[in-house]
Amino acid sequence: MSIRLNGSMISVAIVAAVVGAVVSVSMSQTAGQTPRPARIDGRPNFSGIWQANNEAHWDLQAHAARAGAVTQPGVYPFEYARVAAAPVVALGAAGGVPASLGVVQGDGEIPYTPEALAIKKANAEQWIDRDPELKCYLPGVPRAMYMPYPFEITQSTNKIHLAYAFATTARTIHLDDVDRPPADTWMGHSVGRWEDDTLVVDVSAFNDKTWFDRAGNFHSEALHLTERFTLMTPDVIQYEVTIEDPKVFTRPWRIAMPLYRRMEPNIQLLEYRCTEFAEEFLYGHVRKEQLVKRWEGETMIVDITRKVPPGDRFYESFRK
Amino acid sequence: MRTRLLAVGAILVVIAVVAILVRSGTSAATPGGAPRTPWGEPDLQGIWTNEFDTPLQRAARYGTREFFTEDERAELDKARLALLGRDRRVERGTELDVAGAYNSVFMSMKRTGRRTSLIVDPPDGRVPPTTPEAQKTAAADRDFRLALLQSTETCKSNSTACAGGKYDPRPSPRRAEALTRYNTARMNRHYGPEDGSLSDRCLAGGIPEFGTAYGGSFRRIVQTERGISIFYDVGQGQGFQRNIVMNGSPHLPSQVRQWHGDSRGRWEGDTLVVDVTNFSAKTDFMGSRENLHLVERWTRTGPETLEYAVTIEDPTVWIRPWTVKEEFTKQSDKENRIYYEPRCHEGNYAFPSLLLSARLAEQAFAEGRGPDPALSDNATDFVGVEENPFGR
Repeated sequence: MSIRLNGSMISVAIVAAVVGAVVSVSMSQTAGQTPRPARIDGRPNFSGIWQANNEAHWDLQAHAARAGAVTQPGVYPFEYARVAAAPVVALGAAGGVPASLGVVQGDGEIPYTPEALAIKKANAEQWIDRDPELKCYLPGVPRAMYMPYPFEITQSTNKIHLAYAFATTARTIHLDDVDRPPADTWMGHSVGRWEDDTLVVDVSAFNDKTWFDRAGNFHSEALHLTERFTLMTPDVIQYEVTIEDPKVFTRPWRIAMPLYRRMEPNIQLLEYRCTEFAEEFLYGHVRKEQLVKRWEGETMIVDITRKVPPGDRFYESFRK
Repeated sequence: MRTRLLAVGAILVVIAVVAILVRSGTSAATPGGAPRTPWGEPDLQGIWTNEFDTPLQRAARYGTREFFTEDERAELDKARLALLGRDRRVERGTELDVAGAYNSVFMSMKRTGRRTSLIVDPPDGRVPPTTPEAQKTAAADRDFRLALLQSTETCKSNSTACAGGKYDPRPSPRRAEALTRYNTARMNRHYGPEDGSLSDRCLAGGIPEFGTAYGGSFRRIVQTERGISIFYDVGQGQGFQRNIVMNGSPHLPSQVRQWHGDSRGRWEGDTLVVDVTNFSAKTDFMGSRENLHLVERWTRTGPETLEYAVTIEDPTVWIRPWTVKEEFTKQSDKENRIYYEPRCHEGNYAFPSLLLSARLAEQAFAEGRGPDPALSDNATDFVGVEENPFGR
């Protein structure tokens, strides 16, 4: 009896030890998220939930902080002294734009043709009217990669799927041979290959409807991207994109940034299904009883009402 | 002797466990001959669709019989081929005639499937009865929609779309009522986006997803170890995605609600079992909203086949759970015919046009240039055409 027990206990111990060792190896990749092996099918495993942590979604290029996402001339005649305008003025310090060193490599310039540069400037001035993000349209690539929302990579052997929280956008990177899409696309047609441990993705078949950021940077349907994904650490991807579009740019240019793993142990991709959130923006003018009160045709005029709550200490001091 | 046997057995177990855990790269098939991923999980990947048409509910004449005979399938295919379907015109020049724009070529049907109904439980293949509470909600909803139609040609002509209502030349005072329950279906009022159906707003597309007689229901599964992503291509650009959490953690807190719920999966043998809860109150599956609970079972049954079964439960709507079963067929990876876009939303000119037309009609009426908009029906479509002889 006692011998039998010992034998069983020894074998249990062996199982526990071996399982423990193997499991600890396979789980050593990351503290957060679902534990996964560091490599899959012999390649670095990019599976998991990632997010850029930078200001590229505001403007790919280096820029100083500014008072609002939408500004108007203040009391000074200087560009650098503009003040927040409606509709963000009521948001105070939450409505501004943070500064950035930019993500454009080399001299930091985006090599627009003169005609394209004029369009870019007009886009920036008419940001609210023109930016597809505000309408909850598909964001395009590379923009989807550095919007302030997480995305999930599901990496298999012949497909790598990217699911984005924003607008429930998706794209599949094909590592196998597939037919091209029958028409131009918002998110491009992604074909990947491995160069050692770097995933290189060729993206084409774009339409001309997406932007790069909220600063009006844009492209034509001739856009062609070469993306490079390289793991710097198990939890950081170095993401680089070479951008070519002979109709808009005079030469190829490049952006680069780290993408960070979301480390929360309970992280999961949640929906940001903004179609519904953009309805007032898109269709408010054709309501019977308008919620936004001032419309001139399709032009929305936003009146801002900001009330000081009773008991606010700052304002009470004025009233004394 | 017994000790040694136990020890040897245990060591074999150790070897087996190690073999699985180190993911030796072998892709041994499941017992049914279905492929496995290099890391040893059943391989559910690819583009999948139900290539056959099977009605959700079984026609009463088939009783508890689950499958058609081959002769019956051939007969049904023949009968359906002879259908005029939507090529049959309702009275020309009417609003309903215009609404029948998609003809039988556009709406060509798939061939008859093996099953007499998608529903396999209850045994009669029918959706279980609804609760008194759900019946009350449905009746209130129906009454409101009929009130919006009462002064239109649809009710005057006793169209089936007015069934349960009655014609009254005076528009209903209920037209001014505020919505008290989140609207998901088309109604004959267009005061704002909320009066539109989820489909017209490009917010349709949800689970469970059973496709239509006309096809157009594709899903791509991509797997990684402890991770599964499914993208659905459904409803003319109303596709959506599910990223299934596979780490054994509990569902989202109850205040976090999603259009496509919260999917948490696990392997039971070679079957992927996914438990789905946390649906938004803005969704509606046959009357079930935030209390909808699904338990899905995905099983790769062969090189080209994937079985899908889902048990649907909502005690506030149905008196018992019910189960649907489908068999998907693998589609060509090379042809890659699954479309994540263009989405409905980016090209949704129809919905704002509908709202704008309503405003123009109101203006014309106010200025004495046109009829009262409450007298016309801009909500009803596809009425009076022949339906699929599978019956309801």
